[in-house]
Amino acid sequence: MSKNTLSKSHPIKDGLGDKVFYTINAIVLGILALIVIYPLYFIIIASISDPDAVLAGQVVLYPVQITMSGFQKILERTDVWQGYLNTIIYTVLTVILSLVVTIPAGWALSRPSLPGKKLLMVYFIIPMFFGGGLIPFYNVMSSLGLINNMWAIVLPSILSVWNLFMTKTFFESSIPAGLVEAAKIDGAGEFRTFTSLVLPLSKAILAVMALYYAIGQWNSYFNAMIFLQDETMYPLQLVLKEILIASESTMGGSGETILEQYRLANQIKYVSVIVSSVPVLMLYPFVQKYFNQGVMIGSLKG
Amino acid sequence: MASLTLKDIKKVYPNTEPVKKPKKKKNNDEPVKEKANLQITEEGVVAVQQFSLDIADGEFIVLVGPSGCGKSTTLRMIAGLEEISGGELYIGDRLVNDVAPKDRDIAMVFQNYALYPHMTVYDNMAFALKLRHTPKAEIDKKVKEAAEILDITQYLGRKPKALSGGQRQRVAIGRAIVRNPQVLLMDEPLSNLDAKLRNQMRAEIIKLRHKINTTFIYVTHDQTEAMTLGDRIVIMKDGFIQQIGTPQEVFGHPYNLFVAGFIGTPQMNFFTGCKLVKEDGKYAVDILGKRIVLSEKQQAALSANNQQPCDITVGVRPVHIQADSQGFTGKVDVSEMMGSELHLHLNVQGLDVVAVIPTVGLDLEAHSTGKEVNFSFDPSLMHLFDAQTEKNLI
Amino acid sequence: MAKVKGNSPAPAAPANSVKPQKTPKKWLKHLWENYPFLVMVFPAVLVVFLFNYLPIYGVLIAFQDFMPGDPIFSKYTQWIGFGNFTRFFTDVQFWPLMKNTFLLCIIGFFIGFPLPIIVSLMLNAMKGKRMAKVLQTIFNGPHFISLVVLVGMLTLFFGRYGLVNNIVASLGGERVSYFLEASAFRPMYILSSNWQDFGWSAIIYIAALSSVDPGQHEAAILDGATRFQRVIHVDLPAIMPMVSVMLIMSIGGLMGVGYEKALLMQTDGNLAVSELIATYVYKQGLTGIPDQAYATAIGLFNSIINVILLIIANTTSKKFSENSLW
Repeated sequence: MSKNTLSKSHPIKDGLGDKVFYTINAIVLGILALIVIYPLYFIIIASISDPDAVLAGQVVLYPVQITMSGFQKILERTDVWQGYLNTIIYTVLTVILSLVVTIPAGWALSRPSLPGKKLLMVYFIIPMFFGGGLIPFYNVMSSLGLINNMWAIVLPSILSVWNLFMTKTFFESSIPAGLVEAAKIDGAGEFRTFTSLVLPLSKAILAVMALYYAIGQWNSYFNAMIFLQDETMYPLQLVLKEILIASESTMGGSGETILEQYRLANQIKYVSVIVSSVPVLMLYPFVQKYFNQGVMIGSLKG
Repeated sequence: MASLTLKDIKKVYPNTEPVKKPKKKKNNDEPVKEKANLQITEEGVVAVQQFSLDIADGEFIVLVGPSGCGKSTTLRMIAGLEEISGGELYIGDRLVNDVAPKDRDIAMVFQNYALYPHMTVYDNMAFALKLRHTPKAEIDKKVKEAAEILDITQYLGRKPKALSGGQRQRVAIGRAIVRNPQVLLMDEPLSNLDAKLRNQMRAEIIKLRHKINTTFIYVTHDQTEAMTLGDRIVIMKDGFIQQIGTPQEVFGHPYNLFVAGFIGTPQMNFFTGCKLVKEDGKYAVDILGKRIVLSEKQQAALSANNQQPCDITVGVRPVHIQADSQGFTGKVDVSEMMGSELHLHLNVQGLDVVAVIPTVGLDLEAHSTGKEVNFSFDPSLMHLFDAQTEKNLI
Repeated sequence: MAKVKGNSPAPAAPANSVKPQKTPKKWLKHLWENYPFLVMVFPAVLVVFLFNYLPIYGVLIAFQDFMPGDPIFSKYTQWIGFGNFTRFFTDVQFWPLMKNTFLLCIIGFFIGFPLPIIVSLMLNAMKGKRMAKVLQTIFNGPHFISLVVLVGMLTLFFGRYGLVNNIVASLGGERVSYFLEASAFRPMYILSSNWQDFGWSAIIYIAALSSVDPGQHEAAILDGATRFQRVIHVDLPAIMPMVSVMLIMSIGGLMGVGYEKALLMQTDGNLAVSELIATYVYKQGLTGIPDQAYATAIGLFNSIINVILLIIANTTSKKFSENSLW
């Protein structure tokens, strides 16, 4: 009996204790799912509801007086769209370069015959646990001439040691040694083996890595905040930071004008949360199919 | 096609770490193999040593032995996938110790086929030729020829995933023969097939052998494969060659106890605690309380060696045991009906003896569990092994 | 992985490892045969060198009287030893910073560490596997939300004009911005972090659970174990090695709390609890009149605490179980 049949088509009745267990388990997980979903759901219904209704606390379970005015307003925000464009550029560059750096390095590190493998492993492990810290990093970037330069956003993000080791592990476990040896006997050199054999078999890790790097870059704001001064270069997250957060920290007072400001500002906030997060959230299910895909099925024993 | 010469080939895996249960952690899904009694020296673990063999042009050589005997390692050294730690390897007249696999003009069929999953059957077979910049038309011709031989023409457009085990096996062979290698190496190519398919593919390989002109080196742990396929068989154990010979030689005259037990099914019966004695200038064997005088031929061979009386182990193949009311008495422990023959497990004075008896006209009832059975064997078919050295005395 | 190597000797090294021999000539040959791997790994080595190792070299300024723009080594460099460190230890901010960082981390750890483990066990014990898959996908979702958006969402819920206050106001209550309340900072910070990442952190345990041999469960069922007992006696032991590895890692990162998020959540109102060592480093080093040497020293101090914690966690784990990072 496989695990599936064990849990799916139960021919045997569960005992009372098990029934209680399964029920409680399902209820608790269901509640957890609601806790995860509700905030996201609220943002959506609030974004298409009348701002007054939101402010009056009427929007809790469903949208009230549906309006698209928030989306119309965000269309007029050139800073948001400039940020969007910038982020897309930074993200695309990061993904391309990161794959170029990470995938071959991961392959090389997975090879037992890599000269100096042990040393290289130590070289890559140390930064996982120890770093120079923010200021020396800033100074290095500064002396590389990367202040107020878009490459300051891209270059430091093109290699994550975690991702490198994940790639290495993928290669170790999913590329059968026999395939590589077969290529060797067929006359392929190491580069040829990499391009003709390894890369075509690595769609899963390419997709996952692209996703990780893309999301990392799409969501980051800190490097942009410390390295970029020119607002036209700001990525989306930095623009969002102004829209979403700045006001909360500076304003403590009250009064009608401020209320009016909030009325409008909040609507923009709901909408911008959606507009900025949708691309990333849409990417996830698209790439998820690669997570568990068995690329190797055909090549191994039947 | 080329001859091969292996001169005192040796493989040592250097000790990289202090020897402490290596491997176990790494490949969990690979069952931990029986530990072989490999020699561990200061240099490291010696996987293969003193391996010398001349292989003629077009010969079919089978390396056979239990897990960890070094047969695969030897094959991989010939392929160039493992560095040769010592000795010399010639393909034709060329010393190839330091030659890269692609320049050795060899091809290999892997145990798991190692087909490129992202390529079609056609591309799998064409890959090596493409890498050698063979003109397209010629690639096409060669691939189709090979596909014809192996009867896989209709699958050329498919990917390996869409093929059955037997078909994948053919593709793997096709990939190897498509470039007319001088030497074709096969590493347990049939071990992933089920029993029926395995017999069928074995016959195919015999046929293939006559269609293509190359030297075969074939590794297997299955002695039946070895016997049926090989021109000569190399039996290995613990990194050492035990015997090299034709199937007839290794079956009829096993060099030592190990070979005797390894070749032939059911396994040869061993009677331990026997004695070789000399009586009136004639050699005889004390076995199970009886004294059996040896045949003329055996006498001659023993005299030629000037063999002294000693403790020995006597080996008799199960098929050579026959019913004989005058012979030894044994009690049937287990009686296995195989159809045309009966496998009897007899308890003879505490020793387990297996006999294979044709069933035609046999009284099955008289051979059922618990019954007493009398048997004997032709003395000339006895194998005599020195109890100490385990070597065949003749 | 199905290794093609059929019967290579068991105690020997992995079959495809062409181990470098000790003689220099063989080593050179080995190097020549495998140089493509060095070419492949080189870009990564370069990137790590530039953005990880150069900054490590740059920590030397922590021991200097350093002005921004100075070279790290020159004849004018003034080495002041541990001056910057003693200055930090005597800083009035020292104890509040230590306390804020430590409390935020330790409370976050006690909630954030067990939660993914429990969730993974619960998901694994669900009857409907398809439902479990759906739930897992839902739980993973928030991980993809950026910090800026997450903190933005917090303001939309707990800000003066956020959902909570809107409801309170509609019931006649007084609006309170939780962002200006010091006492609300830690709960908001920790709960939102858990909301965002518990599903993602559970993945690693779920993967470990999926490799549990179903036979173990079946044997336990025959032995009369209830599902809950199987969770405790079959599932939990199966993920323990992973739990210890994650434990070591999170203890090592205990003081390395995400300052990027704290920075976003900081207001004048909650600064007393939201100012962490890392945010202080940022402010000292990059804002106002930058005092880079001082900020670097504080950052280095923080990193060293982390490394010490990691080593302690690892050695302890090694002592009491077989699991360790090295």
